[in-house]
Amino acid sequence: MKISYQWLREFVDVPSDAQTLGRRITDVGLALESCEDASGDIVLDLDVTTNRPDCLSHLGVAREVSAIYGVALRKPQFKVQEGSQRASEAFSISIDDGQLCGRYCARYLAGVKVGPSPDWIRKRLEAVGVRSINNVADVTNYVMMELGHPLHAFDAHKLQGRQIIVRRAELDEKLTTLDGVERQLNPSILVIADAKKPVALAGIMGGGETEITTSTTNVLLESAYFSPNSIRKTARTLGMTTEASYRFERGADIEMASFACDRAAGLIRELAGGEVLSGIIDVYPGKVKPARIALRRDRIAAVLGAPVEDVIVHQIFERLELKPAQTAQGWTVEVPTFRADLSGEEDLLEEIARHYGFDKFPGTLPSSRNFGALLPGEKKVRQVRKVLSASGYSEVYTYSFSNEEMERRFYPDIEPVRLRNPLSEEATILRTSLIPGMLSALQWNINRGTRNLQLYELSKVYWNGGERRSLLMGACGNITPANVHQTTREFDFFALKGDVEELLKEFNTPMRLTTDNIPKYYHPGRFARVGHLAMFGELHPSYAEPFKFRQRVYLAEIDFELLLGAPENRRVEQIPKYPGVKRDFSLLFDKGTQYATIHRTIVDAGISELVRIEPFDRMESGPFPATKYSLSISVVYQSADRTLTDVEVEGFDTRILKNLEERLGAQLRK
Amino acid sequence: MSSEWIGQLRSIAQQFDRDRESVADLRSLEDIRNRYLSRKSGLLTLQLQNVRNVPPAERAEFGRVANEVKGKIESALETLQHQLSQVEATAALERERVDVTLPGIRRRIGHVHPLTLARQEIEDIFVSMGYTIEDGPEVEKTYYNFEALNIPPSHPARDAKDTFYIEDDVVLRTHTSPVQVRTMEKMKPPVRILCPGRVYRRDAADATHTPMFHQFECLLVDEGITFSDLKGTLERFHKQYFDQKTETRLRPSFFPFTEPSAEVDVSCVFCNRSGCRVCKYTGWIEVMGSGLVNPRLYEFVNYDTSRYTGFAFGGGIERYHALKHNINDIQLYFQNDMRFLEQF
Repeated sequence: MKISYQWLREFVDVPSDAQTLGRRITDVGLALESCEDASGDIVLDLDVTTNRPDCLSHLGVAREVSAIYGVALRKPQFKVQEGSQRASEAFSISIDDGQLCGRYCARYLAGVKVGPSPDWIRKRLEAVGVRSINNVADVTNYVMMELGHPLHAFDAHKLQGRQIIVRRAELDEKLTTLDGVERQLNPSILVIADAKKPVALAGIMGGGETEITTSTTNVLLESAYFSPNSIRKTARTLGMTTEASYRFERGADIEMASFACDRAAGLIRELAGGEVLSGIIDVYPGKVKPARIALRRDRIAAVLGAPVEDVIVHQIFERLELKPAQTAQGWTVEVPTFRADLSGEEDLLEEIARHYGFDKFPGTLPSSRNFGALLPGEKKVRQVRKVLSASGYSEVYTYSFSNEEMERRFYPDIEPVRLRNPLSEEATILRTSLIPGMLSALQWNINRGTRNLQLYELSKVYWNGGERRSLLMGACGNITPANVHQTTREFDFFALKGDVEELLKEFNTPMRLTTDNIPKYYHPGRFARVGHLAMFGELHPSYAEPFKFRQRVYLAEIDFELLLGAPENRRVEQIPKYPGVKRDFSLLFDKGTQYATIHRTIVDAGISELVRIEPFDRMESGPFPATKYSLSISVVYQSADRTLTDVEVEGFDTRILKNLEERLGAQLRK
Repeated sequence: MSSEWIGQLRSIAQQFDRDRESVADLRSLEDIRNRYLSRKSGLLTLQLQNVRNVPPAERAEFGRVANEVKGKIESALETLQHQLSQVEATAALERERVDVTLPGIRRRIGHVHPLTLARQEIEDIFVSMGYTIEDGPEVEKTYYNFEALNIPPSHPARDAKDTFYIEDDVVLRTHTSPVQVRTMEKMKPPVRILCPGRVYRRDAADATHTPMFHQFECLLVDEGITFSDLKGTLERFHKQYFDQKTETRLRPSFFPFTEPSAEVDVSCVFCNRSGCRVCKYTGWIEVMGSGLVNPRLYEFVNYDTSRYTGFAFGGGIERYHALKHNINDIQLYFQNDMRFLEQF
C-alpha cells in the first residue's frame, strides 16, 4: 500500500520524518518496503498483511501512527450540501441476496459536469499509483485511498428503470466490463443489475455501458459491502484483481459505507458541481454490532512473558479506536467493524504486544524436562553418509518432479503420483526412482568438464499410495585420474562392487550375490544383486544413449529402508596372538570356472584355521592350453591358540589342492 | 737395536697418518684397514709377528708401543668409519630428494550435500535444547496442510496457482507445518519438536525461488510458554547457528496459525548491522516467520487452551545455508555441479 506522507499528515501530526516513521511503523507490523521522494512529497510503500484491510487507506495507517506516537487522529470533516429533491424518489435499490451483499448505500447527483480533476487530486492519486480519469471517477478512487472503502459511480441515465438490484447473475448473462472484456456470467457471480441486465461485477469492476463519460450529467454513487468470499471467488474465476476486489476480499468496513458515500458525494459536488439529492439511500437489513472481547489482565504476563501497565494497555486500545471497559479481571473491549481480524483474547494480546513493543519483552529459554532425540535411524543414516563419503561419493539433491516417460523406462510397473497442475510437461509426476535424476546429474557435470564422478542420492521416491527413502549410487570416468605420479584407473564393475561391499559390511550384511531378474536397464553381463537389498551394475548402453554419455555409467540401487532394518550386532573379534602363515598357489582352471566356485571349493576343504582367501593374479593366456586360464590364490592359515607347524601347513595345502583337483580339475602350475 | 723395532712401529704409525689423509670413502677405508690390520698381510700385523725377534729385555716396551700404535690406528679407523658412514647416509638421502612442490596424490573423498549439512547442524542444535525430530509425508492431505492450520478453503494460500494439487484434498505440502498437527494429534503436551523436510510451492525457478525447497519447523507446546520464550529460543538458535554476535529481532506480522505472529530478522551476518547490499542497508535480514500458536489450532487436536500455550516458527534450510555462506542463487543446491558440491 502506497502512502503519501503529506496526505497522511492531514489525519495525524507525525512527530518525525518519513524515514523514522517508516522504521516505527515497521515495528508495529506494517513493514516499510521502500520510501521514495515524489515531487515534494514522500511515498512510503508499506507491506500490509492480509488480515489488515483497515490499513489499505491513509486513514487506517494514520490510526496506527496515532497509536505509535500517542497523538490524536483527525477524521475528515465535511458536510454534504443537499438539494431539495429526495434521492429515494429518483431511484430505488434492492438487495436480492443478503448473504453476498450486507449493505448497499447510494447517493444520487444531478447536473454534474464531468471533466478533468484539479491538480491536487491528480497529484495525490499519482503518488499512490492511481491513474487520473475524470473528476467523478477520481473522487471514487480518492475516497477509496483515503478511507479504504471502494466506491463505484454509474451514469444514472444509462441505468434502466431507475433502479439497482443486487443479485446473482443468471446463466448465460454477459457483461462487458470497463476494460472492454466481455465476461460470461453464472449464478455464482454477484452482479449489480438495473431493471434489465447486469451493469457491474459487484465489488470488482463496473460495466462499460454505464461508465461515467464527459456527457454524463447524473451520477449514481455506490458504496456497498460485499462478502469477502464471494468477491474472492469471482475474482479468481474471472482472473481479475482490482483495487476494489483487493479490499473487498480482505474485508471492507460495513459501517464505513455510508460515511464514504457522503464523503464522495460532497467531493464530487465540490469538483464537478451539480446537486446532491437529499438523503442517502441505505439498504442495510442486518446492522452489524461491534464485537466484545474479554481480556484477562493476568494473561498479558502469562502469554507475553512480562506484564504491561494498565494505563498503557488502555492507551493502546483507545488510540486504535478499540473501546476498553475495565472489569474485575481486566477489560471488555468493544471492537469496531473495521477490525474484523480481532476476535479472541489472543488477538488483543497481539495488539498490546505490537504497540507496547516486541523488543520490550525479554528473551527467556523455556525449561526442558526431556532429552531431545534425532529421528529413529538417523544415526545409521549418518553412518551411511560417512561410508559413502569415504568411498568417494558426493551427495546430490535432485527435484522430486519427473518426466513420466523417462520414469517409465526404468520402473514401468509403478503407478506414479500425478500432479494436476504441473509447472511444465517435463515435471508432471513425482519420481518413481532416483535413476533419471542421477543420470541428469552425471550428464550436467560431464557437459561441464567434470568427467570422473561418484555421486549418490539418498532421498524419497513416490508411488500412488506412498513414499519411501531410497539410495542410489552412480559413477563414471576414472577412479584415479592420470597425473605426474601414476596412470589412470577406470571406474568399473569391481570398483562399484567394492563400494557396495563396503557399505553392506558397515551393516553386517553378507554379500550373497545372484545374477537373476536382471532389469532391462542393466548390462546383462555386468550386473549382480543381493536379494532385494541391492542391485548394481553397468547401465545398459541403450539406456545410456539418450543422455549421450561417452563413457560407461555404473549404478547401485540400495533399498534403504531394508538396509536400515539390518540388525545392529557389531561384535568385536579378538586380534589373534599367533602368527598366520601365507601360502600362494598358481593354478590352471577350465575357462568358465567362476571364482565363486573356486572359493567355495577351498572353503569346503573344511580347514578351520583357514582365515583368508585372496585371488591375486589372473591370466587368460600363457604357456598353457587355450581352454584354461591361470589364477593365483593366496591363503592364510592361522590358529587362535598355537603357532602352526610346517607339517600342519603342508597338510592344509594338500587338502585344498586335492579338493580343487578332484572337483574342478585344477592343475597346480609348476 | 731395540729402538729399531720400536722405530719401525712408530714409522708404521706415521705412514698410517699419511695414508689416512687420502681416505675419501668407505671403500678406501676398507683398503687402508686391510693394508695395516689384515690378518695375513697387514703391515702392523706383520710387524707384531716380529715380536719373537725382539730381545726379551725390550719386549715389554715393544708390546706397550705396539698396543699404543694399534689402538691409535683402530680408533682412527673407527672415527673415519663413523664420519664416512654419515657422509654416505647424507649422500643417500640427497639422492632420494624429490620435488616436493609437485602436487600430492589425493584420494577422492565424497562431499555431503550442503543442505544435508545445514539440516544436521540445525537438528543438532535443537536436539541439544531438548527437541525431538519429527517428520511426515510430503504428499499431504489438505486437512493437515491447510484446515487444521486455520487456513480455510477460501484462503488464497490454497490457490492452485501456488500449490501443487494431486487430488481435491491432496497436495504436495507447502510447508512443514502439517507435521505439527500430526504430532499434536498423536501426543499430549509437552510437545517439543523440530520437523525438517522437503516442501513445494508452485514457483518457477530463479535465483531466490525453486518449486521444491526445504524447511525446518519448530513447535513447543507446554504450560506457561510465553512470547518471551519464543524470543529467547530464536536468539539462542541464531547465536548458535550464525555466531555469538548475531542479534534477533521480531516484527509483528500475520500468519493464520499463530497469534501474535512475528517476522524474524537477524542482524546482517555480512556487515554486522552497519549496512550493506545484502541487507539493503537496513542492517537486518528477514529469515523466518514465527509466533505463539493460535489457540484455534488446539481445538483441532483437543488441547486444553486454558492450560497450554506454545510457540512455533519455521525457516528455509536453503536460506539459512545461503546466508551463512553468502550464496546468491539457490538453484545451485539442485544443479549438483561438483564444482559447487566439493566446496563443502
